[in-house]
Amino acid sequence: MAIVSFILNGKPVSCDVPAEETLVDTIRRRFKLTGTKKGCGTGDCGACTVLLDGDAVRSCTLLTGMVHGRSVTTIEGVGTMDRLHPVQQAFVDVNAIQCGYCIPGMVLTAIALLNRNPDPDEAEIREAISGNLCRCTGYQKIVEAISLAAKRMREAGEEAAR
Amino acid sequence: MKEKYIGQRVTRPDALAKVTGQAQFAADIAVHRDDLLHAKALYPPYGHARILSIDTSEAEHMPGVVCVMTAKDLPAGCTNKYGADEPDKPIFAENKIVYEGDAVAAVAAETLAQAEAAAAKIRVTYESLPAYEDPRELRETYPSPIHENHPISGQSPVSLSATVRNGDPGPAFEQADVVLDHWYRTPMADHAYLEPDVCIVEPDPVQGGFTIWSPQHAVQNAKQDMAKLFGLPQSKVRVIGTLAGGGFGGKEDSTYDVSTVAAALAMKTGKPVSFEFTRDEVFRNTGKRHAEQIHHRLAADKEGNILAIDVDAVIDKGAYRSVDILPYRGSYYAGGPYKIPVSHAKAESVFTNHPYGCAFRGLGVPQATFAMEGQMDYLAAELGMDPLQLRLKNIARAGDRLHMGQVMLEERGLGLEECLLKAADAIGWKDRAKTGYYDNRGTVKRGKGIACFLYGIGTGSSPDGAHCLVQAQRDGSFNVQVSQSELGQGLLAAMSQIAADALGVTLDKIQVDYADTAASLLAGPTTSSRSTMYVGNALLSACKILTDRFLGYAEGVLRVGKSNLAIEDNMVMVKGKPETAVPLAEIVEGAYTAQIPLAAIGSWYPPRVFFNEDMTNDQMHTYTFGACAVEIAVDTETGIIAVERCLLAADVGKAINPDTVEGQMQGGLTQGIGWSVMEEIFMENGRMKNHSYHDYLIPTAMDVPDMETIIVEHPSDLGPCGAKGIGEPPLVATAPAIRSAFWDATGIFIDEIPLTPVRVMKALKRKDCAE
Repeated sequence: MAIVSFILNGKPVSCDVPAEETLVDTIRRRFKLTGTKKGCGTGDCGACTVLLDGDAVRSCTLLTGMVHGRSVTTIEGVGTMDRLHPVQQAFVDVNAIQCGYCIPGMVLTAIALLNRNPDPDEAEIREAISGNLCRCTGYQKIVEAISLAAKRMREAGEEAAR
Repeated sequence: MKEKYIGQRVTRPDALAKVTGQAQFAADIAVHRDDLLHAKALYPPYGHARILSIDTSEAEHMPGVVCVMTAKDLPAGCTNKYGADEPDKPIFAENKIVYEGDAVAAVAAETLAQAEAAAAKIRVTYESLPAYEDPRELRETYPSPIHENHPISGQSPVSLSATVRNGDPGPAFEQADVVLDHWYRTPMADHAYLEPDVCIVEPDPVQGGFTIWSPQHAVQNAKQDMAKLFGLPQSKVRVIGTLAGGGFGGKEDSTYDVSTVAAALAMKTGKPVSFEFTRDEVFRNTGKRHAEQIHHRLAADKEGNILAIDVDAVIDKGAYRSVDILPYRGSYYAGGPYKIPVSHAKAESVFTNHPYGCAFRGLGVPQATFAMEGQMDYLAAELGMDPLQLRLKNIARAGDRLHMGQVMLEERGLGLEECLLKAADAIGWKDRAKTGYYDNRGTVKRGKGIACFLYGIGTGSSPDGAHCLVQAQRDGSFNVQVSQSELGQGLLAAMSQIAADALGVTLDKIQVDYADTAASLLAGPTTSSRSTMYVGNALLSACKILTDRFLGYAEGVLRVGKSNLAIEDNMVMVKGKPETAVPLAEIVEGAYTAQIPLAAIGSWYPPRVFFNEDMTNDQMHTYTFGACAVEIAVDTETGIIAVERCLLAADVGKAINPDTVEGQMQGGLTQGIGWSVMEEIFMENGRMKNHSYHDYLIPTAMDVPDMETIIVEHPSDLGPCGAKGIGEPPLVATAPAIRSAFWDATGIFIDEIPLTPVRVMKALKRKDCAE
């Protein structure tokens, strides 16, 4: 067991975890943040995606010990039901959601993309989310939602700059 | 009824909770409970073996272990046999295992890690047996080497056999100008829903029995089947269908694979137990799309009229019966949407040591359609006809008969011709060179393909009725209680839209109580693309009973006959005089005081249809139609097929919510692309070789193009506002459309999918050799 301290959704936290514990289990079982989903446990599906210092990573193949001193953001840290992140709002507006199991990971991957590339084209969006499997939507409306969010965020940015 | 919400792109009620991570799936509910025991089961490292001994003594003494169970520890009264159609699958194998997913033992412990550690200490000795994997060979092998005494099939290797006999095909084949004779092969496939199978089972100490929380296709069926398994009165099992992280037919059965084990442990320990499959277990243990080998013979004249078909489909049933309506559907759909006067179409499902074949989007129709549409392209090639024109010539229009004799009725909505024309127009069919590959120089060859289908709405098994309960609350809001499940398809949106319009209230007044056996009536499963039509109709009927009652009461309040009253926007108003109106809430409250019941049961039964003994006659009353068109690029150096365009025109009768209809179309097409060019399960000696997302590949966002969707609406007189169904149909014709495009691109027919690079390179090489 080892004490691991990190920032979780903006707040400093500590936990005492066995060396082999993965971040997805720490987030879900210890901090009860169940918005992060576990779809495969082998790093293939992307449902467990979280942001680590702003980058989208798979929390099922990351040992909790490796996030010591770093900042982790889960879906619970990006928006609430009455105050959605623009990416979340766009997913709702284009009805990009079906079963919803992949959606938290998809939203976080999209946020990481838009942070480094505010104006991605369709190919760049598809490439960015290609590690997030979705079995329901065929990705179409998800791509449309990310594109819409990018547009709205750019416009809001220009508005703020004026 | 004023259609204010029906037909609109209403936002799904579950969208906000899902996009913020607040929506709880069953595994999430388990995390938030701290009173659960955790289960782990032990599965064999064989596809076929005899169990010689099981030693659980070491496991029993491991830390945290509360209970270790094998077949001999099952509670009294438990039959140790379950299944979606007929019970034949054991919770724990007794003497023999017949596939890798047969549980041998299970542990319940304080923590999951403890359960896993203990399960690893269970010692089982096996005698390995040869694995039987070829259904064509096996169906001639009597007695079956797999089931020594199957509860339904006895010693037969065949699970079920069905044959359509409509006339004698002999003379037609003798007189035909063209006879096509081909074997088509389609693979097993995994549903690959993102949410692994999971459940919580909690015993009820007050009244006995237990409650199950798990993702479900059919809570009422689960209630019945679980009660039967444990020898309980059916009333004692409550099933709550949690939000499902995808199902696609699979969770109709696979949910039993976890809940039977958890229920056995829960009954033994008296404690609530949660059990979740790992992804590896989902792959190895749960049901698959049935692999099929279809021998399809077709006779035609030189004008391209189909004279007869003679079909023999061999279906890989896998180890257990599960949903075994496949032979019926294999024979029933063998002739596609075409007018065919004479038919002999047989289909048989044969036991193997593979994972059991179960429902998967389309349930046998994609397989049958792949064969029939393949024949249409062969016929077009043989006669030098345009494949589109050949289809337009042969599709069954009003008054025409399908191969099993069913007459097509205009009033049920026959939009296939429009679908074909619109799909062809959108894909640019006119530009498709007759044999495009001659002009296709270079190493990347492009081609266009088209294929069409019909898909019956509902299970096809009478009575198939649907029932629901609608309760008015005294404030003018309503609880709509349906047993259907929210699997992502958009049940909550569709039911809210239909109920709000039928009651004349705003959407915010509607609460859909779904998938809970304690708050709904028998309504059949959420499968076979039936919920919108069947439950939608039941809902209309309940709403009509209530609105009649409330308008009857309002007559006395507004002093106007009820035929001149309407409910709109939560107000009861005089038609044409909206200023003379009373809030619906006041009318409901008044009706309540006047002792008028505030709840109503709505029911709907489809027309009863039965097969004749020779399986001729109708079974499906309403069909959704569609045409899929694709454009692909074949890299002849790597064998990789890129689907560059994919579109579907589908006649859905009426789109209740165009957003969710498009969502179903886009998702179904994508699964269809996966099945056509990527997805394949490899078995060796009864063991699965690819059992992770790493080596069982499903389409990513980079594997599929924009999905183009064209909604066609030829209403069915039976549907709510004309609606049919759209859950399964989008996947049905993708594979034959891609095969057709491959032919256009390369001049080669491949009769086996998926068209993986290996298969493509082999076909290209064969052609090079031939030339």
